[in-house]
Amino acid sequence: MTDNVDLNNIPQATAELKKHRRFSVVWIIPILAAVVALGIAVQRILTEGPTITIVFKTAEGVEEGKTYLKYKDVNIGQVKTVKLSGDFVKVVVTAKMDKSATGLMVEDAKFWIEKPRVTLSGVTGIGTLLSGNYIGFDVGKSKKAGRKFIGLEVPPAIKIDQLGRRFLLQADDLGSVGIGSPVYYRRLQVGQVIGYDLAADGRSVDIKVFVNAPYDNYVTNATRFWQASGVDVSLGANGLNVQTQSVLSLLIGGIAFETPPSASEAKPAAAGTVFALYSDRTAATAKHEAIVQPYVLYFNESLRGLSVGAPVTFLGLPVGEVTGIGLEYNAATDVLRPRVDVALYPGRFRAFVKNASAVVDEKVQNAGQRHALVQNMVDRGVRAQLRSGSLVTGQLYIALDRFPDAPKAKIDWTKSPPEIPVVPGSLQILENKINGILAKIDKMPLEAIGEDLKKLLVTTDQTMKRVDTEITPELKTTLEDLKRVLKSTDATLVGKDAPAQQDLRDALQEMTRAARAIRVFTDYLERHPEALIRGKTKEKP
Amino acid sequence: MSTGILTGIKLGLISCESCGLLSRPADVNEPGYCPRCGEELVFRRHNAIQRTWALIIAAAICYIPANLMPVMITTTLGSPEADTIMGGIVFLYLSGSWPLALIVLIASVVIPLAKLVALAYLLITVQRRSIRGQHERTRLYRLVEIIGRWSMLDVFVDTFVVALIQLQPLMAVVPGMGVLFFAAVVVLTMIAAESFDPRLIWDSSSEKEDEND
Repeated sequence: MTDNVDLNNIPQATAELKKHRRFSVVWIIPILAAVVALGIAVQRILTEGPTITIVFKTAEGVEEGKTYLKYKDVNIGQVKTVKLSGDFVKVVVTAKMDKSATGLMVEDAKFWIEKPRVTLSGVTGIGTLLSGNYIGFDVGKSKKAGRKFIGLEVPPAIKIDQLGRRFLLQADDLGSVGIGSPVYYRRLQVGQVIGYDLAADGRSVDIKVFVNAPYDNYVTNATRFWQASGVDVSLGANGLNVQTQSVLSLLIGGIAFETPPSASEAKPAAAGTVFALYSDRTAATAKHEAIVQPYVLYFNESLRGLSVGAPVTFLGLPVGEVTGIGLEYNAATDVLRPRVDVALYPGRFRAFVKNASAVVDEKVQNAGQRHALVQNMVDRGVRAQLRSGSLVTGQLYIALDRFPDAPKAKIDWTKSPPEIPVVPGSLQILENKINGILAKIDKMPLEAIGEDLKKLLVTTDQTMKRVDTEITPELKTTLEDLKRVLKSTDATLVGKDAPAQQDLRDALQEMTRAARAIRVFTDYLERHPEALIRGKTKEKP
Repeated sequence: MSTGILTGIKLGLISCESCGLLSRPADVNEPGYCPRCGEELVFRRHNAIQRTWALIIAAAICYIPANLMPVMITTTLGSPEADTIMGGIVFLYLSGSWPLALIVLIASVVIPLAKLVALAYLLITVQRRSIRGQHERTRLYRLVEIIGRWSMLDVFVDTFVVALIQLQPLMAVVPGMGVLFFAAVVVLTMIAAESFDPRLIWDSSSEKEDEND
């Protein structure tokens, strides 16, 4: 059938393939792929954030491509490389930040490695135990963008957006204060220590504290700060005084502040104000006196028990303190006498005056008027006196009190410091009185009295002896006679056949009979009452 | 006639790609349908070269994000970690299992790339009407066709892991964009291999013979 195929009968196809010149639809696929890939690439480039470098001392737990940078627990970037610095001292961490975090990368932004930390004031970073360490971030205040940063060793105690104010305290030494130590106001924790450093000249320590809002308003220009660390035990004329803050501050130190009541009108201090840090509350509150008026007192008695810092009281209220104790040589009389320097704080008088007015203010402020006031007080008998604050400790203090009997005195204001007249101390007066009594006792002829007493005793002894020899035998015979008399009496009165007893028995029998007769009579009368009128009727036969 | 090989095109005959029946085309431009099985008859696949090129280029474009973007995002205790294909290979190699690393490297990186290069090579040689190594090129084509599907290994592992490891909040695996592109590369190269017509390899040799005649 098909053995002889006539090839010529088969139509001749064109040898060349017809070229389809038109653009094939299939090209849409690569175009689509290119568009998608480009789109992704463009998006990547657009969302590309800055690359930053952070220098740390160590890169504890920081891993390339795994460790994140977090701000408020939100990822803002990722660590790309961790390398040692050129001199092998530091670690340079390179991180790729998110586009959204670009604005946060300013010069003074802070970075630190967040890891579990156990401090006395608390435990932080527990979450990193599971998720691994991450790099913490806190935004700075600067407007200038930065790409190179120095990492912090410890997280900043205060985040930038925390409300409150920073203050600088200058102290002689750091004490037991550390970063994170609490700051107390009326024993309430209101802030914390955020840093400390030695002052540039090395003479003091600068301690930075942060007081949280709204408590920062209580820090005024008149506020005093003091170290509230540990236990402050002081033994003064006021007795044993133990001051502590919280148990926490015993362990990690602390700082407390207070604004003196006299400065109530003061305005809140500006951030960054420098304050002095006192060693304790007493020092902090004592030194806020604006006016210090020195006086000198010359006591004529022992100053044992009086110490510098002992209070000076006026009618029991503390108005000053002892600033110096010593001796003074008086060339005129060639004697040494004890000298006590005191400082009075007129401002305190002012604080104690409840109905204080401008007049009082004027009296306190103006030196001339103040002198007149003090002279007036002295004229009314106000004198300084040493008093015992505590009989147990023997501590002394100085009391300004009224002694109307005191001799008149005038203060010489030309002297510096002026002298306040004194009266002997109460203990001194007591001592004087006892001395007087002892002197009187001393004057008694005790020996003569003793002689006389001895003579008296001898005489008494002789008398007793005579009694013994002469009177005792007589007494014996007398007693025997007495015994005899008693015996005879016994026989007369008490014996069985004693005549007196016989008589008594007879008499009793008589009385019994008489009683019986009376009974018979009364019986009859009962039955025959008429017998009283008619007489006894005859018995019927 | 010549000593040259007789081809269907030369004789104006067309063979069915489905049942192999040799028939005369209804028209040179539109050969029509197979009289036995009804398959559309073509002398050579339509636009084979152009279509294959398009698909290869698309695959090559997708190959870049497939390797740059993460294929898998593993979140362990809240810290997400993105892995690319190369990252996974490096991790496997560094953790000591170099045979596994080699398998992944070959299956996921080398084979797709080799396929792209091989197809491009075939297309270029066809377009240049090269007559050298036609047998080798045909064998290469067969290899490309057979091996193509094995590149889906990565996609396969990815889907498995994503489906199985969902232990929120301890651990979770989410597929990355990379795996989409990777799958696109594999599928596109497979289609490209399919749309290439191996008969084109031999066309040039018969043409050359004609010219020699």
